[in-house]
Amino acid sequence: MTDVVIAAYRRSPFHLAHKGDLARVRPDEMAAQVVRAMVADSGADPEAIEDLVLGCAFPEGEQGLNVARLVSFLAGLPQGAGAVTVNRFCGSSMQSVHQAAGAIRMGAGEAFVCAGVESMTRVPMMGFNPMPHPGLAARYPAAYVNMGETAENVATRHQVSRAEQEAFAVESQRRAAAAREAGRFAAEIVPIDTGKGTVAQDGCIREGTTAEGLAALKPAFRADGTVTAGTSSPLTDGASALLVCSAAHAKARGMTPLARVKSIAVSGCSPEVMGLGPIGASRKALARAGIAARDLDVVELNEAFASQAIACMRELGLDPAKVNIDGGAIALGHPLGATGARIVGKAAALLQREGGRYALATQCIGGGQGIATVLESVA
Amino acid sequence: MSAAGQEGAHPPAIRRAAVIGAGVMGAGIAAQIANAGTPVLLLDIVPGAAARAVQTMLKADPAPFMHRAAAKRVQPGDLDADFAKLAECDWIVEAIVERPDLKRALYGRLEGVRKAGSIVSSNTSTIPLRDLTAGLPDRFAADFLITHFFNPPRYMRLLELVAGPATRPDAVAAIRDFADRALGKTVVECRDTPGFIANRIGTLWLQSAINHAVDLRLTIEEADAVVGRPMGIPKTGVFGLIDLVGLDLMPHVANSLLATLPEGDAYRALHREHGTITGLIAAGRTGRKSGKGGFYTRAKDAEGNSLKRAIDLWTGEDRPSAKPSLESLDLGSRNLRALAEHPDRGGRYARAVLLDTLAYAASLVPEIADDVTAVDAAMRLGYAWKYGPFELIDRLGPGWLAAALRAADRPVPPLLELAGERPFYRTEAGTLQFLGLDGDYHDVVRPEGVLLLADVKRRSKPLARNGSASLWDIGDGVACLEFHTKMNAMDPDILALIGKAVGMGRKGAFRALVIHNEGSHFSAGANLGLALFAANIAAWGEIEGLVEGGQKAYRALREAPFPVVGAPSGMALGGGCEVLLHCDAVQAHAESYIGLVEVGVGLIPGWGGCTTMLRRWSAAPGLPKGPMPPLSKVFEMISTAQVAKSAFEAREMLLLREGDGITMNRDRLLADAKARALALVEGYEAPKPGTLRVAGPTGQAALRLAVDGFAQLGKATPHDVVVCGYLAETLTGGARGDFIDETPEDAILKLERQSFMALVRHPATLARVEHMLETGRPLRN
Repeated sequence: MTDVVIAAYRRSPFHLAHKGDLARVRPDEMAAQVVRAMVADSGADPEAIEDLVLGCAFPEGEQGLNVARLVSFLAGLPQGAGAVTVNRFCGSSMQSVHQAAGAIRMGAGEAFVCAGVESMTRVPMMGFNPMPHPGLAARYPAAYVNMGETAENVATRHQVSRAEQEAFAVESQRRAAAAREAGRFAAEIVPIDTGKGTVAQDGCIREGTTAEGLAALKPAFRADGTVTAGTSSPLTDGASALLVCSAAHAKARGMTPLARVKSIAVSGCSPEVMGLGPIGASRKALARAGIAARDLDVVELNEAFASQAIACMRELGLDPAKVNIDGGAIALGHPLGATGARIVGKAAALLQREGGRYALATQCIGGGQGIATVLESVA
Repeated sequence: MSAAGQEGAHPPAIRRAAVIGAGVMGAGIAAQIANAGTPVLLLDIVPGAAARAVQTMLKADPAPFMHRAAAKRVQPGDLDADFAKLAECDWIVEAIVERPDLKRALYGRLEGVRKAGSIVSSNTSTIPLRDLTAGLPDRFAADFLITHFFNPPRYMRLLELVAGPATRPDAVAAIRDFADRALGKTVVECRDTPGFIANRIGTLWLQSAINHAVDLRLTIEEADAVVGRPMGIPKTGVFGLIDLVGLDLMPHVANSLLATLPEGDAYRALHREHGTITGLIAAGRTGRKSGKGGFYTRAKDAEGNSLKRAIDLWTGEDRPSAKPSLESLDLGSRNLRALAEHPDRGGRYARAVLLDTLAYAASLVPEIADDVTAVDAAMRLGYAWKYGPFELIDRLGPGWLAAALRAADRPVPPLLELAGERPFYRTEAGTLQFLGLDGDYHDVVRPEGVLLLADVKRRSKPLARNGSASLWDIGDGVACLEFHTKMNAMDPDILALIGKAVGMGRKGAFRALVIHNEGSHFSAGANLGLALFAANIAAWGEIEGLVEGGQKAYRALREAPFPVVGAPSGMALGGGCEVLLHCDAVQAHAESYIGLVEVGVGLIPGWGGCTTMLRRWSAAPGLPKGPMPPLSKVFEMISTAQVAKSAFEAREMLLLREGDGITMNRDRLLADAKARALALVEGYEAPKPGTLRVAGPTGQAALRLAVDGFAQLGKATPHDVVVCGYLAETLTGGARGDFIDETPEDAILKLERQSFMALVRHPATLARVEHMLETGRPLRN
């Protein structure tokens, strides 16, 4: 069978929505700059690109129409390449990897750009015109449950205390700040030209976050709840892009892949506890890879909320030392459509940097789903 | 366009201003200049202080800025680094520390930079003008005057202006005009005497009130109650007022006055230091801003309830505050003379303070002002007294006061002798007149462009009238509809008079209508007391009639064949806001506080407020397409009972429209509104009822989900969820609403009525109404 590899990974800096340095940058423009730089630096043959698969959770406004096609024009991809926008909410750009991997295995293309974008400044979460089905909303309100509420549900059902969540958030911030300080993000970040200057550094990380500081915050979603802004991922602007291709193509072009895609999975769960989605999806993906959690050397588990990340780590039996080595979304930010490609790319890059054989990238998805990707070292 | 939106409101003389000194007063003056739409440089000797002052003001409550955009017009800077920028300014206000030497040194420096024809003024409250200009060149003296603002500069309407013998008359005219029209101040010209008018009299009044409270052994609550309402003084009285302005300010003001007042001034004899007060200042209890309280403090009891405590002036000990109970207070609130003649200590106190204060005021004319009107205006606007000293004398009777002074073996001021038994004010042939120093009465002349309803009422009879409203002819074929209920609350009589006025207008009784009154507030909304009464006796038909009557009356206004202009000042809430929403145009006083606040009492706007706001936001440019964005805006505004904190904010909320005008000076509001109405007469066509795109059940579901989130967070109470449900249903056009249809506005109006009727029967709504009537605060049930 054809091996699928992650050949390159880049992302924009991640910045807080509304007040961050990317608030005035259109999402299509931001995605295009990342795609253009990633393709140019990857060594791929642009003419071999079959498709641009772009994830976006709220594809409307400036990230509307078929934004992938517009990004392909902006990024200067060959006209002969296709472009598709995919939406699986937070799992959108991990889904783009899965689609590409499936196509490559089908022999339906050699090289794919798998990207993701979200400007949570310029297109609000829920979109400009949220129009829920009134009947479904009445009969099954969980279908539209608020994400913060799900984090509270997980905290309650899995008895994740506020102090545990805060300790987790402090550690995420510490790791991210240390990684930035050590320049470990430099290779992955594409500086974004905003028209008024260049943004080259992440903007969400809160260096020096303490447990005491977090303990002073008010609950963000439920009056008597345990989840605060400090233990949630922030609204973020950002974009990410991977080159996903056949091992043969990589070899032919002389590229050194970061990792091989070993297995993929999605699975559904109850929307009220959507944060537990990674458990089912990861179990499926690990089983398909024929390995167990203890075999993992690197894990990227998206931190939508500290409560769900902790619950998933517990249930899957993950070693905290191997999870989100350079910090997670609580510190770095979570531009919904861009996160999936970021954590797949990051897991692949970490596998290369840290050594080891297997990596897992997984995330929860609003509406009650999980998505997971197992990577294997090519070293 | 000027920020005030008032054609030609700004004389071209002041295009750019500067304020030097970014203390509370300087920064506040700069903010008000910016509110008026004029760019202003704010400089301070301490680097960074001006920028910090702007930041502080952005967070202050009450807000010095009327709108965020105003803050951008203030350019902060450092005095030394940015001194050269003063060359661009037409008016430079100095508001630095009260030291003549430092002020003169600054003026000397200004001479090197400021442009020819620019004007310099000082905000000094104590230093005579002659001391400030001593030793400075003639050019400076010609361009210099004193402009004394009151704190806070946005809200206090008085500006005392002192010109020197050398001041150019055109410089005085330019500042007077700018202060009046652009800054909205009433300018009172004062003589160059210590403390000018308001603080001169106010300081003696405070000292007298403290002395007599101590001597007559009144509690501070009693003193404040006697001095407050019966005398038409804000209920803070004396001790509450000092807590507000700061105890530490008192010795400062006293010393500066003692240094400059003439020998034999009555204040010198009254001045006294009180051990309790010096003790409070020494302990840092300098009033509300100190955080430790002053005469009054707040403490928590064992259950965490906030308890008011008051100091005993004799012992200096705090004790629980007690509501005063004095026989004199019961009868005195209406009849000032009866209060002052009452033998109990409240009566004796009132008499003592009134004698001191009013005799002093009478003795100071013409020393401090040309005539009594200036003194009365200064005390009304600078100290928020309802009546100036001479108006108080008229309430007591000038003869009574003279006799009381003689009985106390005190001199009777010549002006009081001159008056004899005659009042200081009278109405002659419909015109208000005051008693001049020549012993004759003279007309009170209003400045050009000032039209007061009070003057109209003095000289004419209403075109129509009932117990709640009147219709007046304000000239040029324009009628003015005046509300005069308590808080100008809307009631069936007002609605009836609206109907009648529209009928008269249809028959040609007038060409245009202005809705305006001179109460503190345009209208606090529908009369809740009536509604509660009707609900308590289950008179649902009456209530429904009221809702329907209101819709009909407001619609009649909108569809009348003549232009209708609303002219609010102060609060215009609920039904008072909705009447404005149905006007063809609004000319609002800048200090208008407009909002749809029905949710606070468990109701939704029922007189077209929902429909009109949805129509306005649906047509608003700049919103994303689709049915949800305008709906969300309107829903958020009404469900959180947002109130605009100025007319400028109201414009942003679309409670006012782009073409609506804003008048800075309240005295000019009616004339501006009348001019706006007349401008609409030619070719006027009434708007026709329209249609709306509503979101339907899907929008309702989206709003309910959002409300559930707020409920989870504890930000929406259980009854909020109920009320918001009805609001969502109304704004989305009910079960049959669909965004592909054009829904007639009438259909939304009907939903407003149905939702209102459903809510008004809800026990939780009635509990809210009852609580509001009893406490003046919303019940969060």
